[in-house]
Amino acid sequence: MKKIILTVSIILLLLINGCDKGIEPADEITTPTGFKGKVTFSENWNNNIKRTHLVVFKKPINKDEDFFPPNLTFVIDSIPKGTSQFNYNSLENNYIESFSIGQGEYSYVVVAQSNSPELSLLRKDWVVIGVYCENGDQTKPKKLIIDAGKISENINIDVNFNNPPPQPPGGM
Amino acid sequence: MKKLLLLLLLSASVIYSQNSTGTIKGRVVAADNSPLEGVNVFIPGTNYGSASDLRGFFQIKNIPFGVYDVEFSLIGYKKEIKEKIDLRQSAINITVILYEAAIETKQVIVSAGKYEQNKDDLSVSTTVLKPEIISQKNIHSFDDLLRYVPGVQMTMDQVSIRGSSGYSKGAGTRVLTAIDGVPFYSGDMGDIVWEMIPLQDIERVEIIKGPASSLYGSTAIGGVINIITKTASKNLFTNFKSYIGTYDKPSYDIWNWDDRFRTFYGLSLTHSNHYKNLGYTFSVRKFDDMSYRQNDYYKRYTAYTKLNYLFSDSSNLSLLANYLYSIRGNYLYWKDSRNALLPKEGEEKNKVKSNRLFLSLIYDKKFSDSFTAQLKSSYYRTKFDGIAIEFTTSTANLFRNELIGTFNFSDKLRLISGLEFSYTKVKSNIFKSPDYIGTGLYAQMEYNLTENLILNAGARYDYLKLDTLKGANAITPRAGLNYKLTNDLILRSSIGTGFRVPTPSEVFTSAGVGGGIDVIENPNLTYETSLSFETGLLYNYSKSLRLDAAFYQTEYNDFIEPNLTYTGDIQFINLPKARIQGLEAIIDWDFVPQMFKLNISYNYMWSRDIEREKEMKYRPRNVLYTNISYNHYPFEAGIDFRYWSKVEEIDDALVEPPLNYVKDGNRRVPVYVTDINAGFNFFIGSLPAKTFVSLKNIFNYNYVEFLGNIAPPRNITLSFELFY
Repeated sequence: MKKIILTVSIILLLLINGCDKGIEPADEITTPTGFKGKVTFSENWNNNIKRTHLVVFKKPINKDEDFFPPNLTFVIDSIPKGTSQFNYNSLENNYIESFSIGQGEYSYVVVAQSNSPELSLLRKDWVVIGVYCENGDQTKPKKLIIDAGKISENINIDVNFNNPPPQPPGGM
Repeated sequence: MKKLLLLLLLSASVIYSQNSTGTIKGRVVAADNSPLEGVNVFIPGTNYGSASDLRGFFQIKNIPFGVYDVEFSLIGYKKEIKEKIDLRQSAINITVILYEAAIETKQVIVSAGKYEQNKDDLSVSTTVLKPEIISQKNIHSFDDLLRYVPGVQMTMDQVSIRGSSGYSKGAGTRVLTAIDGVPFYSGDMGDIVWEMIPLQDIERVEIIKGPASSLYGSTAIGGVINIITKTASKNLFTNFKSYIGTYDKPSYDIWNWDDRFRTFYGLSLTHSNHYKNLGYTFSVRKFDDMSYRQNDYYKRYTAYTKLNYLFSDSSNLSLLANYLYSIRGNYLYWKDSRNALLPKEGEEKNKVKSNRLFLSLIYDKKFSDSFTAQLKSSYYRTKFDGIAIEFTTSTANLFRNELIGTFNFSDKLRLISGLEFSYTKVKSNIFKSPDYIGTGLYAQMEYNLTENLILNAGARYDYLKLDTLKGANAITPRAGLNYKLTNDLILRSSIGTGFRVPTPSEVFTSAGVGGGIDVIENPNLTYETSLSFETGLLYNYSKSLRLDAAFYQTEYNDFIEPNLTYTGDIQFINLPKARIQGLEAIIDWDFVPQMFKLNISYNYMWSRDIEREKEMKYRPRNVLYTNISYNHYPFEAGIDFRYWSKVEEIDDALVEPPLNYVKDGNRRVPVYVTDINAGFNFFIGSLPAKTFVSLKNIFNYNYVEFLGNIAPPRNITLSFELFY
């Protein structure tokens, strides 16, 4: 009798677990996902600057390699030198075609400049000049939250060349 | 008138006496349906008897009508009695299968240690598989067989023993697969093409769970799978097998990309015999699978030959030739979870053509009772052409020679030593065109200290040089013991080191994989090393209940894993330190002896990338396999259940922004797969035949073994085998 109970129990266990269908298709998303906003610059641009990009990082930067993919999640087109206000939209201003941004929370959104004419992947070539933050306090980065099928708006960053934010580890 | 009546009575009496005897005839075959010669067939308590001939046929004539028991016996086989045969006609046909007595007594022989040992005398965990399972589960490719083995994990087509490997698209292996002890991996990728394993000619499969670098060198850092092929049949033996099956419709309508039934089928013909001292086996096979996914089809053709020539009782030569031609679609990842059975855009027509030829020559010579030598030579040529946006091609020629000496100094002391040399030349547009030289020298000693205690220890020295890379030297010692505390309780323990040199594909690959992602070379990649410890016990609670349990731990240094670099490319790198610890328990219970069996195995594995303080990728923490089988001739049936807990770490960088290369690729679930099978053995005339039906993934559960790759849905296979 014990043997039968054991056998039946095992078969029942298999049946119960097998009734779940496992992986399901994702819900259909018909509207685009992304973010948009503006970058405002105060004071004069440095003539030596070759590149200025708004970049999005998944996690805060704690070491050199956090400055690059996969932690570096998105790069907006280079902002022309001398610009006082730059309006952007992640759908239209995606600088690296193979990158895409989706639903999620992103801890560190900054504007960074480089003296290198090509897109450098060396941390020392970059300096952070503006941070997406709470109430203008650049020491307190604000999370960028993106929902599926929605465009997060007003992701604005103010850049004051004379008052740069604290630099993440590494750099020049 | 009286004379006439008397004549009629006499005539009737003669007719009656002529019809009052009959013949019992039939055939005796082994469990694999090969004919058994010399089987003693007799009716106990009478003088009626006979013996089976070369093809297993027998007949006993002139037996008076009646009810008899008929006994069948042959040395090495379990005696079989057919009871209450009611002989009331001129002839009765019966067929009998005899099973090897060794199976009953569990005296399972293992030769993965480069000489034959009793499985119960080993110091490492070992699983031995018999070929019957291949028919029972309708297995068409060897990797499917491994999916049911405790401690073995298949991630797509890549094998891992106790977490030794994650997934690297076939590049490099940490499990050495060998055919008759001859390593069987390609020279460029170091991969194993499972379809080439001659399923129809397997005598047994030995799986050593733990590093075996001290005997086999670089590739065996995670364990060994040794496939022992059959010796050619002593008598004419031909086997025809065919199977046909179909995949069920997907669970969700949006996944249904083709209204046709997606089918698969295969055919194989094997012929074996002896001519004087020459034994031979020939086999041809064809496989065709439409697949349940778009551009995931394959067509494969294989030809296999094994020749064995017996020069004398003390020397023989074996030649094995194995050829494969295949063409298949190259499905890499799904488009997304809403199009889970379609490849990514632009990859709908990618395909791969392969040609592979494996030759091995084994010469055995017994010089005396105390010294035996074996020479093993092999050549493995592999060529593939990948047809996609980029054309990829690689041809590798791998030559290998090994000389093994076994010295039996006494009944208690044995020494196995060997010398190995290999050379590989690769010509490729993605792996460069490197050459690869390997040499190895090893010795292992086994000493029966007491009747109950067996000690073994050994070491191997290897020197390997991969093209322009600095040569690698490695010494890999090991030691183990086996102690029989009682007849029913056996303890084992071993400690061993391992190492693995990266393959040309891991060092030199330079190719695009689509979506702007490239695999880039890493000339600084160095070899990995390991230190493993295992302790376990085997407990025979009763004749029908058996427990095997083990604790294991492996520390890896410079562990080689694919990694996404900060430039967004894939590159093989050395992880500074990794650790895998685990517990494994296996219970075998014949809960209705000779009829119902239950096998449960559970493996708990904790793997860590020490530097990153994360789990290692594609290694489930909990794995449970369960099998219940029923066997009562002529019926067989079984149910299998496999569970993996959800894999904790995958290649996140491939499935998350910014690359998001495999959309929805982080969708993964625990694995619950249930398979059932049933079979019937019968005879067509005197020819044994069997038919099996198997239903795999009966609940149509959707899961992935690797990101973006849905595993097969529910599918049904019907097979038929004929032996003559």
